Amino acid sequence: MAFVDNFNRFVLANLGPLFSGLWVTIYVCFWAFLLALLLGAVVCFIRLRIPYLRFLAIAYVEFFRATPILVQLLWVNYVWPEVFGFPRTVVGAGILALALQSSGYLAETFRAGFDGLPKGQREAAEAIGISRWRTIWRVEVPQVALVVAPMVINQLAVVVKSSTLVSVIAIADLMYAGLKIVNQWYEPIEVLTTIALAYFVLIFSISGVANYAYVHFQTKFGLVAQR
Amino acid sequence: MSPALRQMLDPTLFWEYRAVLLQGLAQNLSIFAESAILAIVAATIVAVIQLGRSRPLRWIATGYTELCRNTPEYVLLVWVYFVLPLIISKMIGSRFRLDPHLAAVIGLGAAYSGFMAETLRAGLRSIHPGQAEAAAAIGMSSFKTLRRIILPQALRRILPDIVNQLVSLFKSTTIVSLITVQDIMYQVSMISVAEMRPVPLYTGAAVLYCAVIILATQLFQGLTERWRKRGWS
Repeated sequence: MAFVDNFNRFVLANLGPLFSGLWVTIYVCFWAFLLALLLGAVVCFIRLRIPYLRFLAIAYVEFFRATPILVQLLWVNYVWPEVFGFPRTVVGAGILALALQSSGYLAETFRAGFDGLPKGQREAAEAIGISRWRTIWRVEVPQVALVVAPMVINQLAVVVKSSTLVSVIAIADLMYAGLKIVNQWYEPIEVLTTIALAYFVLIFSISGVANYAYVHFQTKFGLVAQR
Repeated sequence: MSPALRQMLDPTLFWEYRAVLLQGLAQNLSIFAESAILAIVAATIVAVIQLGRSRPLRWIATGYTELCRNTPEYVLLVWVYFVLPLIISKMIGSRFRLDPHLAAVIGLGAAYSGFMAETLRAGLRSIHPGQAEAAAAIGMSSFKTLRRIILPQALRRILPDIVNQLVSLFKSTTIVSLITVQDIMYQVSMISVAEMRPVPLYTGAAVLYCAVIILATQLFQGLTERWRKRGWS
């Protein structure tokens, strides 16, 4: 059969490059997501607790949420090195662009979580003499973390989705590896379908985890109903 | 202003190439409108099938939404542009070509129909079945029930979500430049290659998109909010 022959020739023969592409995708997504969590938390904190810097945090969130990821990727890749002197590599630019975009969304998610907490908790903590930082760490963060967990995991799925675009600035991720094989042989059917399925499986399982977290936390802690 | 910042925010290149860039914007807008219509129509069909009685059809519809929601738009777009014409050519036995504009509309429309079908299904299911039963009891036909009772309530509930998805659809139209549709980002890359000045061009594109999308979001939300509160009149 032609399909099986082609599959053997173009996909199985190139499993090496495809897997190293997959590895690059995972590497980029991991660091981008970690950085996004960090930035998102910082921006959320600034927005909620530092009044005279709040407008900066709002501008940051609105700007990065309202620009398409491709525009941002090209902007960070071509403009930042000349104006700010970093990032020095394309991989750095890819990670940074994905992180900036997601941090905007994550900051909003965290904010929604903190806003959902009853105000009485903070007042009660203050009344029995728990310090401000300790209130945040021991009272608010644990609850918010559980509430926002499904949304945060979903954001990871979005990062993986957006990461397909980093192939545009020549990061050798899975999409790049696949397009390279296509350009070499002009036989796109098997390779591109395999890649589409690989991404589907990856993202579908992440969404599955998010759904599980949503249902699990809802039944176990009644957190979602409480809001 | 520091020289670096001034160079970043220099609008002269944009003014010089305004004709080409506006053509690009028109491409973006037409792809956005066409794929939005495609997505809404497809999503309605899929959502109705998912709520219907036939079990195999329901499985197919669920598979379709999951496939569309969980595949990256870029992958879907490239697949539609490169693979779909080849498969169709093999099936009809003659050469078949898909032009980039149409491929972009199909790819984006399919991707967003998955999200919208989920939203629509959730909205239709959120209306209590007792209302449909009551409407049947006073002799309304099932189509009339849908049109007069269920849809007006369901639409009001899901409208903010649909608006959000339309906004992300508009943001996604930037990636059609990657399958050689001559949209804004395509023109910006071309100009940046010709002029060798990427800094003001890409900054300008980012600022422009940011402004357009924030304005469009506010406008959409303002309009739909009024309708949600008061009805069509």
